Amino acid sequence: MKISWPHMGSLEFVMGSVFEEMGVEYVLPPPNSQRTLELGARHGPEFACFPLKTTLGNFIEAIENGADTLIMVAGRGPCRFGFYAETQRRILADAGYEFEMVPLEFEPSKIPATLRRLNRLKQGKSWISLYRAIKFALSKAYLIDRLERQVLHQRYLDRERGATTAAMKRCYDLVWDAGTYADLARVEEEAFALLHSVPRGEREEIKIGIVGEFYLVLEPFFNLNVEEQLGDLGAFVERNIYLTDWLRPSGERPVLGHHEHASERLANPYLTHKVGGEGIFSIGDTVLYNRLGFDGVVQLMPFTCMPETIAKSILPLVSRDLGIPVLSLVIDEMTGRAGVATRLEAFTDLARFRRRASGRDPQLTLQPAF
Amino acid sequence: MKVGIPGGLLYYRYGRLWNSFLRALGAEVVESGETTRSILTSGVSKAENESCLPVKVFYGHVLALKDEVDALFVPRLVSVKKRTHTCPKMLGLPDMARAAVGDALPVISPTIDFQSGLWHNYRAVYSLGRLFSSNPMRIIGAGITAWRDHRLYLERLTLGLDHKGALKGESDRMLCEGRELRIGVIGHHYNVYDTFTTMSLLERLGSMGVDVVTADMVPEKMRDEELKRLPKDIYWSYEQEVAGAILACTRRKLVDGIIFMISFPCGPDSIVRVLCEQENKAMGNVPMLTLIMDEHTGEGGFLTRIEAFVDMLRRKKNRVEAALEKVAV
Repeated sequence: MKISWPHMGSLEFVMGSVFEEMGVEYVLPPPNSQRTLELGARHGPEFACFPLKTTLGNFIEAIENGADTLIMVAGRGPCRFGFYAETQRRILADAGYEFEMVPLEFEPSKIPATLRRLNRLKQGKSWISLYRAIKFALSKAYLIDRLERQVLHQRYLDRERGATTAAMKRCYDLVWDAGTYADLARVEEEAFALLHSVPRGEREEIKIGIVGEFYLVLEPFFNLNVEEQLGDLGAFVERNIYLTDWLRPSGERPVLGHHEHASERLANPYLTHKVGGEGIFSIGDTVLYNRLGFDGVVQLMPFTCMPETIAKSILPLVSRDLGIPVLSLVIDEMTGRAGVATRLEAFTDLARFRRRASGRDPQLTLQPAF
Repeated sequence: MKVGIPGGLLYYRYGRLWNSFLRALGAEVVESGETTRSILTSGVSKAENESCLPVKVFYGHVLALKDEVDALFVPRLVSVKKRTHTCPKMLGLPDMARAAVGDALPVISPTIDFQSGLWHNYRAVYSLGRLFSSNPMRIIGAGITAWRDHRLYLERLTLGLDHKGALKGESDRMLCEGRELRIGVIGHHYNVYDTFTTMSLLERLGSMGVDVVTADMVPEKMRDEELKRLPKDIYWSYEQEVAGAILACTRRKLVDGIIFMISFPCGPDSIVRVLCEQENKAMGNVPMLTLIMDEHTGEGGFLTRIEAFVDMLRRKKNRVEAALEKVAV
């Protein structure tokens, strides 16, 4: 049994760590590439959401590399994500691939089935070892998330473009090599020291927040490296979603240090009900960023994503009310890199002018940006 | 108080219910009526590009009512059946309407959620009634009248009247009258019954000599039976109806062909379409035409496809009948 799973940001380190600890065979799908996207778009339904197509591409490439057991999370939210596993199973089977899809569902009535599936996945290893492996992997995820946040905060100060990104690559390797909790503690110090040692220059600061759909925010290849682009354009970047929030679905956001409820409360004047996915957080966190004095918010959404479409139709109201510029980037397989780069450049320029203007003339901030 | 009910989306299912409830409470109800070209155009210009066609149409209806009424009535239907949800767009609909009209116009939006039990829903309806009347008996009475009207409306749909006929209570033509060919036109209520966006498909099919079976006309028991066979249950209430109807039609060969009406870019439909097409292929292959509508759909292309589909079905049926006759001789 060779297990595989789709890519999502740093998920490969976390899942890889679990299976490495357990001594279970796994296949890492090849890194996301244009080919992944083409495969997914060719087999996927026409206007299914973008992550369905990309993860489908991951699955196909994983099967080509010898995987026969595919893990996918399923659920029953109002969003389509809960139905991915079933749809992808049908599509892949129809295309003639041989594999077994293992959907993991975590709603109370499906827990027994999920435990049975996990039992098969762990292939005779003990439950205790599985628990330990997961716990250790979660610690790694937490560390990676904190490192990523540090990277977002300091990238714009780079004296040499790309230095922080290179340092972060090194950090990923360090975390991956850590085998015990003692190692991890040492790596934590080392990695943060490494990031802090990147030479910094002086630069006028603007703050940009990122909100949006989970997968797209976490997956740098498919969001066209928005974080890196913003950093290179001179923005202090903050994002509202980290992998840990997703792996530990308690609603707490350990990396950012506030609970989801805080965000929901802030969204309340504009959106009073959860709409599935991250729709309500996109709005709540925009309000939050405004309170924290950010100069702009970038919303990332896959084309046809239902919750984000709702958020996108309400965000102009938020933007007008609070006077914070919001740029919505809709991304799918047709999105061009140059178009996104141009828009981000214009957006950061606008945010910078606004900041300068507000320093001189506070009244200007009251004017709507869009 | 003048209350406006936008005639889009769930109006095509609960319009009768809402209308008679509000009327029984003494409110003056203004409906935006049928979709027109100008409603669609104004909706498209106001709504998000990525919204689906019915949401754009809904925006148009909201804007058409904006200056005529004192309040808009846009309920939030979270769940209409245990363990299911409606589409996320319906969860956010009142907030989207609020964003469209601004703060000047209040939006009345009771939350109906069958996952939190009957008591919650009773309270939601009762507090809605309190906005119009302080007499508890009158509110409860209005609720009962409205529910009765709603049942009657749904029953008429089941009997084969279209939306307009069911509202009026009479129609000179039934959808299913025993013509030579029978086609299932299956999709969401707002996709099938909106005469403007579908370019009066039901009527045209009727004049082509084709009987139409809608999802409402497939008995609920048959639909549920089909849904139970699926490996993973569908968790959208309205998709359950659509998928159940399509699968029942294919398995029992209730129809000669199926037209699956989807509006671009409907989220749940894109998933259910994969499921239906595969199951259809596996079960015996009733010819299925998936029609995707958006605001750019041209009448010519639309009609050509339907005519071709009907011709194809007719030829197929004639061939089968000829073969059967030969066998009989």
